[in-house]
Amino acid sequence: MSAVAASGESLAAISNFVFPNDLHVHWSLMIVLYPYITGLVAGAFIVSSLYHVFHIKSLKPVAQFSLLFALAFLICATWPLMNHLGHPERAMSMMLTPNPTSAMAGFGYIYSAYFIVLLLEIIFIFRPTVVALGAKATGFMKTVYTILAIGSDNVSAKALKLDHKIISFLAAIGIPMACVLHGYVGFIFGGIKANPLWATPLMPLIFLLSACVSGIAGIILTYIILMKVSGKKVDIECVQTLIKFLWGFFILDFVFEMLELFSHFYMATHHWHTLEALYSGPLFTTFWVYQVGIFSVIPFFLLMAMSLIKFKDGILLFFAPIVSIMILLQVILMRWNVVVGGQLMSKSERGATTFHPMWFEKEGIAVAIFIMIAPVVILWLIGKVLPFWQTEEGTETA
Amino acid sequence: MEKKYKSSYFAHVLKLAVILVVAGGLGIFARGIFLPETMGQYGHYRGSDIQDQRDVAIRNQTNDACFECHRPIRLIHKAGVHKTVSCEVCHGPYADHVKDGKVIGKLPVKRGMEIKELCLRCHNKVIKARPETVIKVVAMPQHLEEKKVQITHNCNQCHMVHDPLLWVRAAYEMAGVPMKEEKK
Repeated sequence: MSAVAASGESLAAISNFVFPNDLHVHWSLMIVLYPYITGLVAGAFIVSSLYHVFHIKSLKPVAQFSLLFALAFLICATWPLMNHLGHPERAMSMMLTPNPTSAMAGFGYIYSAYFIVLLLEIIFIFRPTVVALGAKATGFMKTVYTILAIGSDNVSAKALKLDHKIISFLAAIGIPMACVLHGYVGFIFGGIKANPLWATPLMPLIFLLSACVSGIAGIILTYIILMKVSGKKVDIECVQTLIKFLWGFFILDFVFEMLELFSHFYMATHHWHTLEALYSGPLFTTFWVYQVGIFSVIPFFLLMAMSLIKFKDGILLFFAPIVSIMILLQVILMRWNVVVGGQLMSKSERGATTFHPMWFEKEGIAVAIFIMIAPVVILWLIGKVLPFWQTEEGTETA
Repeated sequence: MEKKYKSSYFAHVLKLAVILVVAGGLGIFARGIFLPETMGQYGHYRGSDIQDQRDVAIRNQTNDACFECHRPIRLIHKAGVHKTVSCEVCHGPYADHVKDGKVIGKLPVKRGMEIKELCLRCHNKVIKARPETVIKVVAMPQHLEEKKVQITHNCNQCHMVHDPLLWVRAAYEMAGVPMKEEKK
């Protein structure tokens, strides 16, 4: 009986008529992480652009940091995919034999192009800092800084003016690219017409908005934690501005998430009875209780209060990380409910299955935790080379 | 008076542009080396892959391949409700047993409680994805209780695995009771 008992947990939870090839959820925890990490990248980049392109001066303290934050997560964005697909050594075949009609391959091209733009932007923005650090450094670090400065020591006003023009250009093409990067991830789901939960043109928009939300929340959380840990003073105006942007993006994000569901409900197409069964059945807890109930409604009102009422600094700094964690959880729950939720209903539209990730399996919880910790470690390593914050003396002379 | 720098004010931009062009060139060079020769021969895939796929050894066969040698069981298997069940479902792939007409290995025959596990792989009631008219599904030990036998009984104590109703039918005949038409 062992084989039956081992799989009995998931077998027992199957309801009604499920096609045999719909029993197993193929797009597992890894495919939940992939849009999540990509979203953090896109969101962090938007924070940086708010300063570099839209000149929101109060975001200056986190403008540099959010670029490095984006880079650390971007490095890891493909890891879940490579683990899920297996054969990471074949990843580059996509570049060798580009297939213009493959929607899936699109990620490779968008990701690579965005990676280059982000790297270039970091190189240009950090160049004065890198030149200053390189002048003081010795040995191996000096070589690293020379490479990062592309072998130039010129930080004259003329050179910086040229840099500034290039930075503006890169940031200007970077914003649409960050939007395309994450809008694409939404499109990959929204374009699957066989799955009524995914097939909606609203999907790229919802993914993009939740990306902005998670990126801003990630920046607020890491900024406050890093400042507290290193004993530096948190820039209250910066946190307030971030909270306001977070609220603004979250209003749009949450409203569109609900509108999408409402339009399914109101149109009541022949798919609605399946979606309804899904939302009231297997997804009830993760969607209604957690994603909507706890991690959307509570942060929504918290953010509203924090944006509209002028609290004392201590209260703001107490609630800002809490609200950020809640938003980060809301977004990962949203990814879960979309990615896994869409696969829980059978193509028969007459039944649903369940999904329980295991701790120790190829795409299990332990691997997921490892992949989420990796960008933090990479960020720490980047921090050893490039400064997250501009010092009081201002190594950046621009 | 401006500080003197070793590099000109646009040196890094120029170097970056050169790096990008060189990287692009290296990419095109690498593509030339790594691109499979037959790529795009028929479509957007490696043409020689068709041959590769054809060269993959066939591991499975039809029941008739088994019946060529295993003649007695053929008569039983073909007569019963399991006639559409492939031999390999329970016994494993043909290729592990015969190669070039010679026996190269013994296929596993399930014994003891392994049999119960094997039967329930298809006949377990918790698998609700199939209509009851297609397959007889049972819950354990409910089925044994209903049939008024010990709950430690194994499936093959009542059911001949190749023709599950063979002995059941015989038992009814011996007792002179008409066998009630059961849902499959």
